[in-house]
Amino acid sequence: MKKVWFKSLTALVTIAMLSLFLAACSGGNSSQGSTGSSGNSGEEKVRLKVYAQHFDDDTSKPFDYAVEELKKEMPNVEIVLDPAVQDGYQKLKTYAATGNMPDIFETDWVTLQTFAKSKNVLLLDEFEETTAFKNKLNPGVEGRLIAPDGHIYAFPFTGIEFQILYYNKEIFEEAGIEVPIKTVDQLAEAAKKLKEKGYVPLSIFAKEKWIPTALYQGFVTREEAMGYGKLDEAGVTELPESFITAAHQLRTLQEAGLFDVNATNTNYDQASSLFYTGKAAMFVNGQWEIYSSQEKLGDKVDWMYWPAKDEETYEKTKYAVNGSPSPGGFAVSPSTKDPELTVKVASFLAQKAAEYKYAQLGSPIVSVKVDKEITAEIPPMMQRIADEILPNATDYAVALNNVSIKNVLDDNTQSMLIDGFSTEQFIKNLNSVLAKENK
Amino acid sequence: MDRYLSNKKAILIFLLPALLAYTVVLISPVLQTMYRSFFEWDGLGTAVFNGLDNYKEMFQDPLLMTSLRNGFIFSVVLVVFQIGLGTILALACADPRVKFRKMLKTAYFVPVILSVTVVCQLWIAMYDPTNGLINKLFQIMGISYQQNWLTSPTVSIVAIAFVNAWQFMGYQFSLLYAGVKSIPEQYYEAATIDGCSKWMAHRKVTLPLMKETFKFCFIIAITSGIGAFVQMLIMTNGGPGTSNYTLTFMIYRYAFLENKYGYASAISVLLVAISLVATMIINKVFDRKDG
Repeated sequence: MKKVWFKSLTALVTIAMLSLFLAACSGGNSSQGSTGSSGNSGEEKVRLKVYAQHFDDDTSKPFDYAVEELKKEMPNVEIVLDPAVQDGYQKLKTYAATGNMPDIFETDWVTLQTFAKSKNVLLLDEFEETTAFKNKLNPGVEGRLIAPDGHIYAFPFTGIEFQILYYNKEIFEEAGIEVPIKTVDQLAEAAKKLKEKGYVPLSIFAKEKWIPTALYQGFVTREEAMGYGKLDEAGVTELPESFITAAHQLRTLQEAGLFDVNATNTNYDQASSLFYTGKAAMFVNGQWEIYSSQEKLGDKVDWMYWPAKDEETYEKTKYAVNGSPSPGGFAVSPSTKDPELTVKVASFLAQKAAEYKYAQLGSPIVSVKVDKEITAEIPPMMQRIADEILPNATDYAVALNNVSIKNVLDDNTQSMLIDGFSTEQFIKNLNSVLAKENK
Repeated sequence: MDRYLSNKKAILIFLLPALLAYTVVLISPVLQTMYRSFFEWDGLGTAVFNGLDNYKEMFQDPLLMTSLRNGFIFSVVLVVFQIGLGTILALACADPRVKFRKMLKTAYFVPVILSVTVVCQLWIAMYDPTNGLINKLFQIMGISYQQNWLTSPTVSIVAIAFVNAWQFMGYQFSLLYAGVKSIPEQYYEAATIDGCSKWMAHRKVTLPLMKETFKFCFIIAITSGIGAFVQMLIMTNGGPGTSNYTLTFMIYRYAFLENKYGYASAISVLLVAISLVATMIINKVFDRKDG
């Protein structure tokens, strides 16, 4: 009797613990594919969960506009926003791992590659909506829609974004620096003059590793129009000459004092504040910074083309743009209940976000053609981009797809901004990863 | 009551929930990580068995040496500062002749209750090479020693380890202080009668009797150093380059930035193994002195 009692109790405790464990681990697929009906008013409403960036004016306004437009176009669709966090898409990956993917999600090429392998993203190739989207694409931005493997995974709303060098005209004038700066040597000279005057020559938020990498690519594109795309090629097991030249240039500029001593530990707020308070003469960021810089510095600010090794190269490669078209935008989950409708909504959101950027912000760097008039006052720097770069662009850099090479590149370009890190170390480290990844 | 305590089945029943919870929360993840370390897996797709490849790759990874070296430096800084200084402060606070002892005890413990982020931001500001307090202090004192505390590949690991040591010194201090206070006062009286000086009494009475406390403190300090991560992430993001990487930072990079979960699992196994070996060595060293 005693034994029976003991066995029963043991079994009961074990079952209780296991139930708790399994319940905890099941992840709950109850919310998977949040498409469903809501309300009981008669008309069936389709609810779609959208994971999108929505944290500042730059990200929330185009999205909110797109959602408002969607309400007019498809009143039966209700968008449930799941605001994205800036976590390198870890939250999204967790959704994928637990089978809770939102119907539509905004993501980048690195994440899309992983999702494509694990079948967590719907292939958009065969949808009618995709063909329609493709037909509306602005010329030259195909790489934002069509992935290097030939497939389409997401609808982009921005065009090919790129990095530029901003400068404060007043400080340059005060230091007696002539513009445009065409060569790396002239930039090094300018750095010395600015430092003597007590300014930080170039403010850079190099605590984020992508920005020194973007800066380095600026010099690389003067030598190699493909940019980092060259490092992805099979058989490239050593750093190409163009990259070595650019590395030497970066070192020369570091030694000339172009960067603040604390550059690798400076975040965006600190770096932009240095530039906007007139303590730094130059600033490097994407063309999206134009709105902020124009608002904060008005007529004092302008941008310049990336310098080259000599004036001839500068003129010849001036329009090789430091920006890579990588696929990204609104992608669709394979678990969404009505793929046709969800794809249509994803495409609509992307197009309307592009429309907002174009018509209301005056940005010509959008993915699709917009048939609305620009209502905003276009900042002069953006107008320069529209007049000078976009019609004349000879090449856009090609995106680097290999994450391992990209990470080593990020680490080493960041190290190039500090004292004591040599070009030889840079070359050695890059050669090591290239030999491993591209053999 | 005795009837139940001598009943092994009853003991088992009462232990079972805790044992199950422990297995689910601790043992199972460790075993799963060990299992995953033999696969090439991106965290989402199908895992492909690749035997010992992850381990072979790990031992050829240049980041491994950097991470091991940094883990070692971090541990040394923690041991020297937290246990060394912590002991001195504990002895001082236990001495009735020291004034304001209560206030000092509170003061040493205050950093422990602060958030790591707050502490790191505070020290980032103090380490600033141009406007930071540390360099300014040297300047005021007429010392020409100026450093790029967080951007120098050689100095930054020590600077970061110091922040961790400073923040959690109060925790070690409280353990050491409790250890000192647990020694009966009669032992010191006997030592004084035998002609021992204060220092000699500490050497002959306090330190030997606090062996167990020290053992525990050493294990905490050394394993914390080997697995350090948060301070590096907040203060320098592992940079410049990879100069502030530790094993945990490697795991973070390969799992979350490169989607190499199998490889990251192999590094996790190494981290657990090193921590276990370190703990065993510390136990061995302290046990040997017993005999």
